[in-house]
Amino acid sequence: MIHFPTPGRSRETARPFLFPAVALLLLFTLFPFAFTVALTLSRVSLVGGLQLQFAGASNWVRLVTDGRFWTSVRNTIAIVLASVSLEFVLGMALALLLYAPLRAGGVFRVLFIIPMTLTPIAIGYMWRMIYDESIGPLNAILREVGLVPVGWVSGTHMPLVSIIITNVWHWTPFLFVLLLAGLRGIPTEVVEAAQIDGASGVQIFRYVLMPMLTPTALAAVLLRSLEAFKIVDEIFIITGGGPGTRTESLTLQAYYVGLLSFDLAYGATVAMGLFLLVVMAAMVFLSITRRTREGEEHP
Amino acid sequence: MGRIQKYARIIGGLLLTVALLMPAWAAPARFAGVTLTVFTQNPPYIAKPVQMFAPKWEAATGGKIRLVTAPFGELYTKMMSAFALGTGVYDVVIFASAWLGDFAGNRYLLDLSDRIKADAGLKWDDILPTYQQTVNWGGRLYGLPVDGDVHLAYYRRDAIENPKYRADFKKKYGYDLRPPQTWKDYRDIAEFFNGWDWVGDGRTHYGVLEAFKRGGQAFWFFMSHAAAYVCPPGLKGCLFFDPETMVPQINNPGFVRALEDWVALVKLGPPGMINFDSGDVRSQFAAGAGALAKDWGDTGIVGSTDIKSVVKGKIGTMVLPGSSEVYDYKTKQWKKLDRPNVAPYLAFGGWVCGVAATARNPAAGYDFCRTLAEPANSYVAVTTSETGFNPFRFSHFRDLSGWKQFGFVEPDLSSYLKAIERSLSHPNAQLDLKMPGQARYLDALETQLARAAAGQVSAQSALDAAAAQWERITNDLGRERQKALYRDWLGLK
Repeated sequence: MIHFPTPGRSRETARPFLFPAVALLLLFTLFPFAFTVALTLSRVSLVGGLQLQFAGASNWVRLVTDGRFWTSVRNTIAIVLASVSLEFVLGMALALLLYAPLRAGGVFRVLFIIPMTLTPIAIGYMWRMIYDESIGPLNAILREVGLVPVGWVSGTHMPLVSIIITNVWHWTPFLFVLLLAGLRGIPTEVVEAAQIDGASGVQIFRYVLMPMLTPTALAAVLLRSLEAFKIVDEIFIITGGGPGTRTESLTLQAYYVGLLSFDLAYGATVAMGLFLLVVMAAMVFLSITRRTREGEEHP
Repeated sequence: MGRIQKYARIIGGLLLTVALLMPAWAAPARFAGVTLTVFTQNPPYIAKPVQMFAPKWEAATGGKIRLVTAPFGELYTKMMSAFALGTGVYDVVIFASAWLGDFAGNRYLLDLSDRIKADAGLKWDDILPTYQQTVNWGGRLYGLPVDGDVHLAYYRRDAIENPKYRADFKKKYGYDLRPPQTWKDYRDIAEFFNGWDWVGDGRTHYGVLEAFKRGGQAFWFFMSHAAAYVCPPGLKGCLFFDPETMVPQINNPGFVRALEDWVALVKLGPPGMINFDSGDVRSQFAAGAGALAKDWGDTGIVGSTDIKSVVKGKIGTMVLPGSSEVYDYKTKQWKKLDRPNVAPYLAFGGWVCGVAATARNPAAGYDFCRTLAEPANSYVAVTTSETGFNPFRFSHFRDLSGWKQFGFVEPDLSSYLKAIERSLSHPNAQLDLKMPGQARYLDALETQLARAAAGQVSAQSALDAAAAQWERITNDLGRERQKALYRDWLGLK
């Protein structure tokens, strides 16, 4: 006779086995987070070892009155909104292109995802050379066709646009892959039924595919946005956050302040500022999606 | 063979064997089994001399060198955190002398004074007094100089001496075209040569090459421009802080005018110069892009010795231009001068080889630093391409054979060496800041310089913001302690 343990008893016996996983989680996730919060409320000295002295909210006061921080916030939000929007549109276009059977579709699929497989540092160096205003190929082509060369990394607004272009080139494949998987997950019978009913391609996309793709699309946009808030490597290589602080993101500012300037407490505060910004953005996003779903369920 | 002859052969053979083995027995490998971890900047610059001399040191001592490198921007952070947290990962560090305040001030480096005093072969007196000071902290020596740093101005002799350009320049500006004596001349010449083909090769060439990029050593490029505006001879504390109050001087009217003039140069160079670092200045000058440049000795070296250089034989080197007006922070007055005020700036102070206080074998560490600093090896290092080491001994200037072998030609060579010697021996030469927190002060100012160069803020706003940051840093590190150390560095009681 097979003896099955009762659910309550199996939970009790399972608890001790969870302790190692919980301990690791606390050690590698919660402890660093708590330590970072502690840094934001401290003055740090490295003389004679790491020493923290309670400093109240002085770092936070400095943060909210720091013009450089707000410039970084604006830059980061601009990069996230522009990049993710463009990546979604382009990713969707590429996914729709390969949704229908296409000769050599497999080859195109591989080509489309290549940018995502490259390391950000390599991408940064490649685009830095492309954007070089004296000897880079972009300006060389422009000169060749009689157009005025562009200050890709030296103008007022163009450097941020250049960073966005690089980011879109790098991460569009991520959205393409998720959206294509989402499209492939939609039952073909639904599409066929719509076709039989005489729906056009645009109508099928708008009334059949898009509603069924919405959960996947929202998840993809959310994941991509959370990642985009942390942008640092491409900016570091291409512009270093410059000219001035025109392309400096919050992560880059935290790096410069905390690790180059060695102002560890304030660097941690900038990083926590980014964390709070991401949390607020995620809450806004989830609230919008919840309202959208409620609107669909109760039109 | 008789018995005597047989024994004579045996004894002779034994004696011969002993004689052959004597050197090994007499001079056992001094540091056999010792591995030194040497930490410095990514190659080639600065790491190359380590790579050049490590095999020789290993063969002579039996020790081993393990070279660890990092990008320049991470050096201070990695060294400081390793020292502060006592990890003991580095035995020898080759670092910017400007960081001596942090490292020696916190006793992270060994005091080498007694070893240096006892080391006649090092020829300490052959080291220029200015560079002897770069390793001095509180009267004790915490490293060996391996490099001499000073900013110089470079110009294209073929452009400046061209008769047609001289005539055109005189017509436009009302004075003779010659190597720039003041920063105003520098700007006029840059403007004159900017954006046209003054070489005659069908390409556009530009006026000036400077480094404006944050993290690209822009701090030093600005300070070497500003020194002449704010440092009349004999005025201590002109470049950084008022030694009586520790109030930063970097936003006084002299600095503001210097920044306005420096930022105006952005438009007089190649496209994208706002993102140039010192490496870009060197490569672009060697490629013939600019009529003027400012840099450490490396631009002269790359221009004269790189096989791809198109400016070899055409480079003039000179002491930094001066200013016909200078601001005195004590009287808060501008002073007009009959002759330009020149203030050569020993930017960066030079690289130094130090032994960590946690080094497992301090004697080996000192011995390796000494290998880099000693007269013969250092001469090779300063006359070899891409080492990043510039002259710091009297003997480096006397023997020209190494320089010529390196690739220098006349009159470039004489011009180059004379400019360095004149700068170092100038009575108004200004030392670079050397006190705890130097990297923090530098980063704070460099960020604001970048904002001013990008047009985000005015020169006054940028320097006011930097000064506020400097006040915060000084208070963080302890105002009275910083003041005492600063006054000590200036030689004030």
